[in-house]
Amino acid sequence: MNRLATRIGALELKNPVLTASGTFGYGLEYDDFFDVATLGGICTKGLSREPRAGNPPERICETPASMLNAIGLANVGVEAFCRDKLPVLRERGVTVVANIFASSTDDFVAIAERLGGEPGVHALELNVSCPNVSHGGIEFGKDPKLAAQVTAAVRRAAKLPLWVKMSPEAGDIVAVAKACEGAGADALTAINTIRGMTIDVDTERQRLANRTGGFSGPALRPIALRIVWDLVGAVSIPVIGIGGISTWRDAVEFLLAGASAVQVGTASFADPCAAKKVLDGIAAHCERQGTSVAELIGRARR
Amino acid sequence: MAPHRSQVVAPLLRRESMGDAYHVLTFDVGRDLGAAPGQFLMVRGAEWGDAPLLPRPMSYLSGGPTPSILVKVVGEGTTRMARAEPGEPFSLVGPLGVPWRAPSPGRRPVLVAGGVGVAPLLFLARGLVAAGTRPVAIYGGRTKKDLPLDDDLALISDLHVTTEDGSRGQRGRVTDVLEALLAEDVEVFTCGPDRMMAAVADICARRDVPCEVSVETPMACGYGVCLGCPLPAAGGGYIYACTEGPCIDARRIDWNRPDHPPRAAGRAS
Repeated sequence: MNRLATRIGALELKNPVLTASGTFGYGLEYDDFFDVATLGGICTKGLSREPRAGNPPERICETPASMLNAIGLANVGVEAFCRDKLPVLRERGVTVVANIFASSTDDFVAIAERLGGEPGVHALELNVSCPNVSHGGIEFGKDPKLAAQVTAAVRRAAKLPLWVKMSPEAGDIVAVAKACEGAGADALTAINTIRGMTIDVDTERQRLANRTGGFSGPALRPIALRIVWDLVGAVSIPVIGIGGISTWRDAVEFLLAGASAVQVGTASFADPCAAKKVLDGIAAHCERQGTSVAELIGRARR
Repeated sequence: MAPHRSQVVAPLLRRESMGDAYHVLTFDVGRDLGAAPGQFLMVRGAEWGDAPLLPRPMSYLSGGPTPSILVKVVGEGTTRMARAEPGEPFSLVGPLGVPWRAPSPGRRPVLVAGGVGVAPLLFLARGLVAAGTRPVAIYGGRTKKDLPLDDDLALISDLHVTTEDGSRGQRGRVTDVLEALLAEDVEVFTCGPDRMMAAVADICARRDVPCEVSVETPMACGYGVCLGCPLPAAGGGYIYACTEGPCIDARRIDWNRPDHPPRAAGRAS
């Protein structure tokens, strides 16, 4: 029996450790460091209908136990992904969650249709929560009606399991979550980054050209965990926990809170093998405790 | 893309400090990871915990089984490095990025360094000397305190030194010397503050002399994932310092675009 297996709706994962969109490229960048096929899955860099160049520099800066980024969803576009990246991932046996981004429902549908026809894509993750682009993104994720509308449209367009990535900036994130569940989402990913700012006192200007950037890293973890806890209590679909997970202990916190899987994000920058170490640590923990991931999920709620 | 980059945790072998600002850190990796002059590595104390969070991009000062870096103290991460004691473990990810291009046969290499930017040029100079070419070097800083490892460079090059305050060498800037030295059969390799490299690139372009720069930007990963290190590309769009650089033909960069943030060398905190 695989102690580490977990289920996200119809999708069975061999273990609960995925890598977060935007921190793992298209997966193959990490192949020199470890076998990425050993992970539960990877979430791709956010894919748009057309390639995007991204925001001007500076795009990143470090903040205490955290960082800000305003990349602006620079990506190769869905066509290049299907042509250049996906065949290799498929051949390697990597479980691929395609994170998709658009500024209109029509574009979301077009990308979903394109990916829905590609073998090797195991799920879609709807990015309705990017804080760093001027149109779309977070606007969809803050409003229950808009979030439900996009979710329903993508639901109709593709048969793939559909995850929706939640913004912590929604006024009522539980309402957005329930709306997405009602519109046919198979799972929720929580949370995306939250907007932060830092000013250089020498230049008296914001350090990021975009002025604000998504706040991520260990400092975000308690907020993410609290939101995951709230969502798990409010919806009946699986929740995938993300936010500042660096070690296996961090990951187990999210499992205990009720997350069915976790995503490792910024930690991969600090240590390219972070996701693998989280996975190995969870495995050792289950072994020591004589338990399984399925048993750990939600145990702190009982 | 570098075919054999890897992550190792290696103890600090020694730290040689030149005053408070500049420090050479040498690591005991135990095997040669194959770094070429111009490549870089991501350096982070293995015991730093959650902060400083990100590794710092550092050019190789030397390669082999005991690679070294030159650190300029500019922020929290580099302060930690400046205080590190032998035996302290560091996570090293490398070798990363594009090395200096091979010198062109028939051209005389001129190395132009600013401050801490001397590191990848010293590595290059050692290779040139080993291959039988003693390069010309121009090394500038604000004051004589901003010329770390100038003695090392003097041993293996025909060295011209400039300082803005005249405390060592010629008073002025590296570009003053470069203008006088440039000839048709020269090629330039440069690393230093952005404004210095932009000025060097401009002189070379006007004189139709090849110019290779080693750029520095903030960086979270070092291998093409975070996309935090864009440089304005000539002709529009961006190129990424980590995978398309750090060593790159100066003509591929748009030095004058408004979204080109001026950066001092050694900016990685």
